[in-house]
Amino acid sequence: MPTLTIDNQQVTVHDGATVFEAAEQLGIVIPHFCYHKALGAVGACRMCAVTVHAGIFKGLQMACLLKVEEGMVVTTGDPRSVEFRARVAEWQMLNHPHDCPVCDEGGECQLQEMTIAGGHGRRRYRGEKRTYNNQQLGPFIAQEMNRCIQCYRCVRTYRDYCGGRDFGVMGSRNRVFFGRFQAGPLESDFSGNIVDVCPTGVLTDKTYRFKSRHWDLQEAASVCPHCSLGCATLPGGRYRELQRVRSGINEQVNGCFICDRGRFGSSYVNHPDRPRQARLAEQPVTVVDALQQLAGQARELIETHGPEAVLLLGSSRATLETNWLLQRWAAELGCRPPLLAAHTPRHQAARVAAFDLADRLASLAEVRQADLLVLFAVDPLAEAPLLAVALRQAVRNGGRVLVYDPRPVELPCEFEHQSLTVLQIRNLLAEETVESTLLRELLDRAARPVLIGGGDLLGAGGLRHLQRLATKASSALRPCLVHPVLGGPNSFGSALLSPPEPGEDDLLTRLESGRVKMLVCLETDPLLEAPDGERFADTLTRLDELVVFDYLPTPLSVHATLFIPSTAPVEAAGSFINNEGRLQLFGRVIEPGLPIAVTGGGDHPPREFFTVTPGSDPQPAWQLLQQLLGGRADLQAVRQRMQVALPCLAGFAELQPGGPGLRAAAAVAPGRFEESLPEQPLGSLQLLVTPARYGSDLFSRYADKLAPRFSAAGIILNPQDAAERGLNAGERVILDTDAGSYRLPLTCHAGLAAGCALVENSAAFPHLVPGGELGFCQVSAEVAHD
Amino acid sequence: MTEQLIMLGLILVKLLLVFGVILSMAAYLVLAERKILARMQLRYGPNRAGPGGMMQPMADLIKLLTKEDFVPAQADKWLFLLAPGLSALTALLTFAVIPFGPPLQIFGQTVPLVICDLNIGLLYFLGLSSLAVYGMALGGWASNSKYSLLGAIRGLSQLISYELAMGLSVVPVVMMARSFSLTEIVLAQQQIPFALLNPPAFLIFLISIVAESKRIPFDLPESENELVGGFHTEYSGMRFGLFFVGEYINMVILGSMLTVLFLGGWSGPWLPGVVWFIIKVLAICFFFIWVRGSMPRLRYDQLMNFGWKVLLPLALLNVLITGAVLLWIG
Amino acid sequence: MPLLRDIKGSFQPFWVTLRNMFRKPVTVQYPEQRPELPERYRARLILTRDPDGAERCVACYLCSAACPVDCISLQAAEAEDGRRYAAWFRLNFARCIFCGLCTEACPTLAIQVTADFELAGRDPLKLVYEKEDLLVDHCGRQPDYNFYRQTGIGVTAPRGGNPGESPPVDVKDLLP
Repeated sequence: MPTLTIDNQQVTVHDGATVFEAAEQLGIVIPHFCYHKALGAVGACRMCAVTVHAGIFKGLQMACLLKVEEGMVVTTGDPRSVEFRARVAEWQMLNHPHDCPVCDEGGECQLQEMTIAGGHGRRRYRGEKRTYNNQQLGPFIAQEMNRCIQCYRCVRTYRDYCGGRDFGVMGSRNRVFFGRFQAGPLESDFSGNIVDVCPTGVLTDKTYRFKSRHWDLQEAASVCPHCSLGCATLPGGRYRELQRVRSGINEQVNGCFICDRGRFGSSYVNHPDRPRQARLAEQPVTVVDALQQLAGQARELIETHGPEAVLLLGSSRATLETNWLLQRWAAELGCRPPLLAAHTPRHQAARVAAFDLADRLASLAEVRQADLLVLFAVDPLAEAPLLAVALRQAVRNGGRVLVYDPRPVELPCEFEHQSLTVLQIRNLLAEETVESTLLRELLDRAARPVLIGGGDLLGAGGLRHLQRLATKASSALRPCLVHPVLGGPNSFGSALLSPPEPGEDDLLTRLESGRVKMLVCLETDPLLEAPDGERFADTLTRLDELVVFDYLPTPLSVHATLFIPSTAPVEAAGSFINNEGRLQLFGRVIEPGLPIAVTGGGDHPPREFFTVTPGSDPQPAWQLLQQLLGGRADLQAVRQRMQVALPCLAGFAELQPGGPGLRAAAAVAPGRFEESLPEQPLGSLQLLVTPARYGSDLFSRYADKLAPRFSAAGIILNPQDAAERGLNAGERVILDTDAGSYRLPLTCHAGLAAGCALVENSAAFPHLVPGGELGFCQVSAEVAHD
Repeated sequence: MTEQLIMLGLILVKLLLVFGVILSMAAYLVLAERKILARMQLRYGPNRAGPGGMMQPMADLIKLLTKEDFVPAQADKWLFLLAPGLSALTALLTFAVIPFGPPLQIFGQTVPLVICDLNIGLLYFLGLSSLAVYGMALGGWASNSKYSLLGAIRGLSQLISYELAMGLSVVPVVMMARSFSLTEIVLAQQQIPFALLNPPAFLIFLISIVAESKRIPFDLPESENELVGGFHTEYSGMRFGLFFVGEYINMVILGSMLTVLFLGGWSGPWLPGVVWFIIKVLAICFFFIWVRGSMPRLRYDQLMNFGWKVLLPLALLNVLITGAVLLWIG
Repeated sequence: MPLLRDIKGSFQPFWVTLRNMFRKPVTVQYPEQRPELPERYRARLILTRDPDGAERCVACYLCSAACPVDCISLQAAEAEDGRRYAAWFRLNFARCIFCGLCTEACPTLAIQVTADFELAGRDPLKLVYEKEDLLVDHCGRQPDYNFYRQTGIGVTAPRGGNPGESPPVDVKDLLP
């Protein structure tokens, strides 16, 4: 722990820290370009020069590279380093165009800041400026190479940190160019991060092009809702439109980066078809009337038909507070406790994570530091993209990644893939195979092993096996941690609120019993978000009332007899619990309302005065429930009550948006769980439904900015299986499942485990939902019509 | 019987005349003040309404009457409505005892040109001038606004500080005239006005009535730079108008008082008494306006210091000296 | 003698004000008498065009950021040729204090002040000027400046074609 003096202030830092980090600890900002917290130092830009007065190396040194020594004396503001930095800034501005007014980075540009900080204000160089031709880099990233100052941050992020391969540096001497070999869309699923790291306006967000300046944006620390990881984000909105999302920083979860799905998939908030007004039997009503109607009807139905008559359905998309208040409302109404997820298998898997695995959950930070990572039935890029980046960091730190998955998994790092079917993985976990023994040995030898399990394919049973394996592989010296991947942004929270009860029946059984007269769906659409959508659709006809609270234009909200608009996660404060039990708060970014871009139709806003904002009817779901409960408590008071009612949420009320969050998990003794795996019918294939990378979760499905990345519908078979059935790639084939039969184009992929059929749940093919019970299917050639 | 009727009729005529003259004087004083101040500041002042801006008082009246009559939500409603009336009324009532001319011979009768010649007219004036401050104090209190309240408090303390000196400065006048009746006082000055006989008392009374009228340099209850509008911050429309008119009526009344007590009232050569009286009052009003154009507002502590530590001892001393001199003369 | 000074100081202002009463007022009787305005008078704002006749405003939002009373709101958009322009630009003269900070902030010399001060009206909405009301057909006070010829990104001229720029480099060239 050396102590040094920077600008007459003493600071003690950890061993191996650099002068730059020490200064940061003191709150002294040393100008810099190429240094980035996540990427480390390369000492390329020479901007962070400081003067060392006492130490081994005296004189001008680069703060980002210089390791701290005991007794060092450093100044950052002495004439020598100031003059040096001013010259570096001037030299970096040699070729930089004077186009700040038309540059999207203006206002949040590190080059602007550092040029001012460096004291360079007047151009002395009279030579010609170097120019480049730009490349088209796809729908998300705009490039303007003339502005480049060659800091290499983009390449270090794209290639080194995120593992992309199609973006790099070309050219020599004064012609160094950052881009693809040929123009074309960037292939990496983490391409958006180069926008965040670029210190100037070379790489900017094309979807946000010319929309706003940074200083005009309303921003708040938020949590990404697109998958269960709960990455920190900084969404920014203006004129009631959510315009962009930047990566937030949460060292425990995402670090400094997020995936493209989270970054560019936010336009669901401003979906043109978003229902913004309460509707009763197709007629617009006020929210107050709608709530009165709902409360009155629910009470009446319970009085006449008993507590079964009203079924409340929570969601893994709804916030923790909303789900909890839904439970309170059910208690007040006297109906049965609400189901907090429409997707029962995913919910059960989340319960295993919340209760059985509570004491051995690994955060993404722990994944990044692990030396052995074993993935069971997880395809990170599809299910939890940033997990793939975390895996890459583990590999860069010398870790080893083993993947057991039936799908042709791709990862941005080196890994060993074993194509096993889901049943084989289950057997492996149950330690019934030779491979299991080998795996145990590997785990025992590892210093920081982490098991990663996909809740979708493994299910509750599989995760429980994973828990057993982890317990066995743990020793007194070190635990073997588990990182479960779950369904929705708040799956863990919904599970935590609904402890397992014996003899519980699921949504469909209850609906099919015929006793339910009114179904209240709170921010969920079982038609799209739960398996057996067809069966669910059939039961809807038996309902007297279908009440939907939602902020997405889902099909169910169209069917609803009573629809009440609620706010999207960025339009209200709330909290989610991510897949590893981390309770995170998010703040309100924008107010709900029709964007000015819509009300003005692209031209200036209407020249009329309104007392209310158009389209501002949606209210936070928790607030709507508060009104139903007759309470007036604010969100903070609700949180206070929640942390009293649920001891595992201790500290909830003190939590703030941003920051690392809070571990909320309830460790209980593993419950008994019986599960019988279905027998595979002869000649059938195991049906695998995997989420598409873009457009599988409802948020990204309704985000038009992501549309260019949506995949087409299709089925993938192992070439061997295809050959056995006489099928050729490219043909349309018929997929017969329990839920129905579909005609899909066939692709063959040798990476897929034999005996499996893989379909992607996406915008183009929403019929099968990932994470259902293990199912089987038949694939046959299309019958030719004569 | 008929005599009494004629007397009653004459009193009514006097009342109406005085009422009309005072109100229109107050109204045109506003205009005069604006014009004179403007000229002192190298401006023209109001010159749009009517020829040379002569209709400006009418325009102001119409404006004030058509403005919203606003009562703040948390105000004490009745006191709030009462206060402006009180302020204007007390000012008007004072004129009852002021003799504005020598007795007139009409229809064979001697009509004194005073509405009511009280033998304690001076005390009546002092009493009413103390009551006048209630309009301001209640208005400031009832508005339930910090500015109004501060203005009212300042007004009250200013009143206590200056009433005392004012009261003491008229004691020599009473001693010299040997009467409380204002007519007697005027008659006592036929030869030499008291202003020349007893200049210290005149000066103290002059300063005190400027303070009494809450005008610059003693306009601390209003002080629009610090207290927005002081006690009448929350008033609008004609209620504000009443305060405003009250201030100018007060100016006329106090000018008349000064004329009566020190400048010899209606007495003067060549011209009729009433004309002399009006000339003197208008000259004093011009002086008031001139002071406003020339002096800055005092600071609060300066004002209190001046009142208690300078004016009061001076006035006391003056009473003693006058008494001694009168005794010596016999 | 502070007392003497004080007494003198109390009487002097009376003399000053009295003297001024007999001087000629300096007030300009506006509707009948036209005021002579200084050359750099700040009144109604306009959006000028560059010498080529295109809009100078690039909707950089600096004017709205500089505006102390928030009377400017606008939305940037991109034209076919990559030119950044204001899709709409609204200036609320009912709120404007004519401080001219927007013109100082404007990097393209688009927003400029004129001496036309006669803006008063009875309907506040008529004081809300849209882009078409603000845009004029001349260059305003700086007739020569064209932002896109100085920027270094190709909008008016091809890339690398502006003065002081070299043609685009061949990035695949490995020659020293």
